Amino acid sequence: MRRRDYALLVSPSVLVMFALLVVPLYRTIEWSFQRVRYGQPGTFVGLDNYREAFSDPRFLSAVSFTVVITLTTVTVLVLGGYVLAVLVNRLGRRTRPFVLGLLLVPYVVPGLVGGTMFSWLFNDNFGGIVNQLIRALGLPQVLWFTETWANRGLVGASVVWFLLPFAMLVMLAGLQGVPTELLESARMDGAGTLRTHWSVIAPSIRGVIGFVALICIMDVLRLFDQLIPLSPQAVQIGNESLVLYIYNQAFLDGGQRLGLGSAMNVLLIVLIVIMLLPFIRDTAREGRNA
Amino acid sequence: MSDQSTVDPEAAERPTTTRGADAGRGELYRRPRGPRTSRIGGVVAGVVLAVVCVVMLSPVLWTAFSVIKPTSVAFLNPPTFTFTPTFDAFVNLWQTTNFYQYLINTAFVAVISTAIALVIGLPAAYALSRSPSWVSVALLVAALVFRALPRTAVVLPMYEIARTLGIYDTRIALALALVAINQPFSIWLLRNFFAAIPKEIDEAAMIDGCTRLSLLRRVIIPLMGPGIITAALFMFLFAFQEYLTAVVLTDVNSATVPVFIATQLGQTLPLLQQAGAASLLLTLPVFVFAFIAQRYLIAGLNAGSVKG
Amino acid sequence: MRIPLRPRARVGLAAASALVVAAGLTACGAGSRTGAETAAQVDCPVEVDSPTTVNVLAYNSSAIDPYTNAMVRSCTEGDLTVAHEPIDFAGQTQRTTATLAGEEGTYDVLETYGYIIPQLAADESLVPLDDLVDTYGEQYDLGALNEGMREAMSYDGSLYAIPMQAQMFLMAYRQDVFDDLGLEPPTTFEELRQVSQAIQDAGDFEYPLALPWLASGDITTAYDAALGSLGVDYVDPETMTPNFDTPEAAQALEEMQSLVPFMDPQVTTFDQPAVQQQMYNGDAAIAIMFSGRMSDLADEDNTQYAADFGFAPPPSVEADGPQFSALSVDGWSIPANSAVDDDVLFQVIATSVSEDASEASLPAAYPARDGVADSSDSPIIEAASEAIDNAPPAEPFPWTAPISNETRPVIAEVVLGQTSVEDATARMQQIATDVLAQYS
Repeated sequence: MRRRDYALLVSPSVLVMFALLVVPLYRTIEWSFQRVRYGQPGTFVGLDNYREAFSDPRFLSAVSFTVVITLTTVTVLVLGGYVLAVLVNRLGRRTRPFVLGLLLVPYVVPGLVGGTMFSWLFNDNFGGIVNQLIRALGLPQVLWFTETWANRGLVGASVVWFLLPFAMLVMLAGLQGVPTELLESARMDGAGTLRTHWSVIAPSIRGVIGFVALICIMDVLRLFDQLIPLSPQAVQIGNESLVLYIYNQAFLDGGQRLGLGSAMNVLLIVLIVIMLLPFIRDTAREGRNA
Repeated sequence: MSDQSTVDPEAAERPTTTRGADAGRGELYRRPRGPRTSRIGGVVAGVVLAVVCVVMLSPVLWTAFSVIKPTSVAFLNPPTFTFTPTFDAFVNLWQTTNFYQYLINTAFVAVISTAIALVIGLPAAYALSRSPSWVSVALLVAALVFRALPRTAVVLPMYEIARTLGIYDTRIALALALVAINQPFSIWLLRNFFAAIPKEIDEAAMIDGCTRLSLLRRVIIPLMGPGIITAALFMFLFAFQEYLTAVVLTDVNSATVPVFIATQLGQTLPLLQQAGAASLLLTLPVFVFAFIAQRYLIAGLNAGSVKG
Repeated sequence: MRIPLRPRARVGLAAASALVVAAGLTACGAGSRTGAETAAQVDCPVEVDSPTTVNVLAYNSSAIDPYTNAMVRSCTEGDLTVAHEPIDFAGQTQRTTATLAGEEGTYDVLETYGYIIPQLAADESLVPLDDLVDTYGEQYDLGALNEGMREAMSYDGSLYAIPMQAQMFLMAYRQDVFDDLGLEPPTTFEELRQVSQAIQDAGDFEYPLALPWLASGDITTAYDAALGSLGVDYVDPETMTPNFDTPEAAQALEEMQSLVPFMDPQVTTFDQPAVQQQMYNGDAAIAIMFSGRMSDLADEDNTQYAADFGFAPPPSVEADGPQFSALSVDGWSIPANSAVDDDVLFQVIATSVSEDASEASLPAAYPARDGVADSSDSPIIEAASEAIDNAPPAEPFPWTAPISNETRPVIAEVVLGQTSVEDATARMQQIATDVLAQYS
C-alpha cells in the first residue's frame, strides 16, 4: 500500500484517538504529580501522591479485592462459558436461536441496571426471592450486603451473570470452527467425553479461550457500576474495586483528591499493561505478519 | 450491502481464521449427524440449559414482577404471588419524568457514536490489515492497551476539558467521548475481519483500476457484512450501557437512562417502582435486539474476530 | 453456508414496531406531569424577557415534593420554564457539589438544609438573600416565616436560604403491637431497649427496631443526634476544641451499640427509604427517622399497616435530656454561579413557600410559615410540634459538615464492631482537630 493511501486511511482514527484519549491520558499523568482540583491550576508535589497511594490501606485493599474478583470470576467464566457453549451447540436449528436470545439478555442490560435487578433478588426489603429459598431450605440467613465474603460471592455471581453470555457466545463461535467429527466423538456418552473435550476440542480453540479470558480480564478489572447497588457498604467491608475507589476519590466529592486519584489511575494502567504483556507480544507478532 | 451478490459470497463468509479446523466451518445451525447415541445425555443437557436460562433471566423477571404489583404489596417480605397486575409504574414514569428524553439521549448517543466510530474506524482497520509496517504494529498495540485502560483515566480529564470548552452536558460531547473510547476495540475487531479477506481480491480490483478508497467502499466493505454488523453491535451495546462516562460528562440536559436510574435507587416506594419500570423499559429494546443480534454475533465472531 | 438475509427484514420490522410503541407512549404522556398537576397552584407573578429555564435540584420525598411541585406548576408560564427531575437524596448531595464547583452550574435553585448552609455560605457558593428579602418580603409575606428557621438558614448575619419547613426525628411505632403487649412509646433509650426486647421476645418481630444507619450516609446524623441528646456539641466554638474526648462522646457510641441487637444485621445498609420499607413490610415495629418521611407510612397505597402506625417524639438517650434528634430546616437557595437573574429565581422560590403551598404540604411537612402547622390535626404534625422544642440545637458552623463527613467511617466501624470505642473517639478527635485547623 502506498504511504499516502495509508496515511489517508489511518489519520481520522489516529487523530480522534490522539485528541480524545492521549491528551486526557497525558492530563491524568500530569495531575498525578500535582495537588489539584477541577478547574484550578495544580501545584507540583512530585511523587507525594504515589507515596500516599502506597501507604493507603484502602488503596491496597481495593487492589487485592480487584485482583481476587478478577481471577475467580474469569476462571468461572471461561469454564462456564465453555460448558454452556457445548450445550448450546448441541441444540437443533429451531431451539438454538431462542435459547441463545434468552441467554444473551444479561449481557445487553447495562451493568448498573443489571446490578440493581440482581441485588433485589438478595434484599429482604424487596422480598428477595433467594433469601426466601434459603429460608425454605432451613439454612441460616446470609448477610449479602454486610459480610465481606458473602458480598464478594454476590458481586462475583453478578459479574458472572453479566459476562457469561459473552463468554458463551465467543466460545460457541469458536466451536463452530471445530471439525464435525471431533464434536461427534465428544457427543458419545461415557468416560470419553470429558477427555475428548480436555485433550482435543478445548486445545483446538485455545485461541478463542484466550480471547475470552483477555476480554473478561479487561472488563472485570474495571468493575465499577455494578458495585453501586450490590455493595452499598463496599468501603467498610473491603469490597471497593479500584475504579470505584478512584471514582470516589477523584470525582464524587467534587474531586478534592484528584491528584491522588490520578496517581492511582496511573498505577492501575501499569498493572494492566503488565498483565497484558503476553497479549501485547502476540499482537505485535500478528501485526507484522498481516 | 445490496451488492453482496456481486462478489463471491462464499469467500466472504468462509474466511480462514481458526487454526487447525477446516471441516464444517461457518455452518451456523447444524443438526447433529450420525446416530444419536446420547438420548439421556440430551435430556440432562436440556434440563441443565433450562435451569441456566431461568437463572439468567431471574433478575429481570423478578423486577418485572415487582413493578407490575400494586404498590402496597410490591416489595412485601415474604413476597406475594397473588395480585392484580397494574401498569401504574410505567404510566407514572412516563408522565412524571423526562424518561422519554433520557431514552432518546441514550439512543442518540449510541447510534451517533457507533456511526462515527465505524466511519473513521473502517478505513483505519483496513489499512492496518494490509500494511505490516511498524506503524501498524504500534497502533495495534496501542489499541489493545487503550481497550484495557481504566476509563477513569480518560473520562475524568474529559470532564475538565468539556467544561473548559463549554460542551459539558451535551449529547455530542458524550457521543464523541464514546467514539474515542470505542475506537481501539472497533479497530482491533475490524482489522481481524479485514485480515480474513484474501489480499488477492484487492489486487484484482486494483488491476481493474480501483483506487484504494473505492476498493474499500465498493468491494471490501460489502464483503464484510457480518463482521461490520458484529463490530457495530458491540459498539452500540457498549455506548448504550456505559454509565461512568455518562455520569461524569452529563447532567440535566443529556443524561442517559443508566444515569437516571442511578439517581433513583435511594427513592422511596412509588418512585422506586418507577426505577424498576425504567430498568425494564431500557431492557426491553435490547431484549428484542438480543434475539435478532445473536445470529450476526455468532457469524461475525466466527468470521474472524476470534483468531485461533 | 450463507447468512440468511431474512433476519435483516426482521430487524427493520422490530425497529419500526419499537418506534411505533415509543411514539404511542409519548403521545399519551407528552407534557403532562401528574405530580405537578395535583400540586398547589398559586400566584407566581414572575416575568422574564426571553425564554428562561430554571433547573431545580431537590430530592424527592413526600415533605419536599409539595413545595417543588408548587414551584414547577405555578411558575412555568409563558417564557419561563421551571424544570425538576426526580432524584434521590444521595444524588442531590453529589450534584450539589458538582454544580457548585464550576464557573457556571447546571442548577439555578438548590434544596438546602441548615447543616450545609454554613459551609456553602463560607465558600461563597450561595447568593445572600437579604436584599431580595427587602425588595420582595412584603409582596410574598416572608415575614411570616418562622424566625428561628430563618436564623437556621443564616450564616454570619446573612440569609442564604428561604426556609420552607423544619424536620426533626420522630418515632413511628406499631400501635397494634404495642397495645397487644401492653407497651407505651419509649421516652428514653433504656425504655427503647426494654420495649424492643419485649417485642423481640414476643416472637413476631426478629428485629423490631429500624433506624437509618447507612454507613455511607445517615449514620453520622444518628451519632450527632445521640451526642446532642447528651447535651454535647461536636466542637466548643469558643475554644475551637473538639469534644470527642469527652465521656459523652464515648457514651453516645456505646448507646448506639446497645441498640444493635434489636436491629436487622444489615442495618448499616439502610437509608431512610429502606427503613420505611421495613415498616411497610411489617419487618420492624419501631422506626426513628426524619419527620418528612413519616406521612408515607400512613398512606394506604404504600402498606397494609397504614392504619396501625402511631407517631411520637423520639426518646432521649438519658432521662430529661434533649431528644435523640436532629433539627434540620429545609429551604431553597440560589447558587452563586447560576446564569439566571437572581430576582426571577427569588420570586420562584418565594412562590413555593406561600401560604397555600405550605398548607398543601401538610401533614407530610412541618411548614416554616408560622401558624400553618397549628391548623393540622394530623398525629404526625402533633408529634412534630411536641418534638421540635426538645431537639438538640444545630451547630451552625462551617466545620460541622466536614467533621461529620470525615468521622462517618469511624462511627460505621464502631457499629460494625471493627473498632473499639476508645480508639474511635481518639481518631475522631484527631480528624476534628485537623478539620478545625483550616478554620482558625
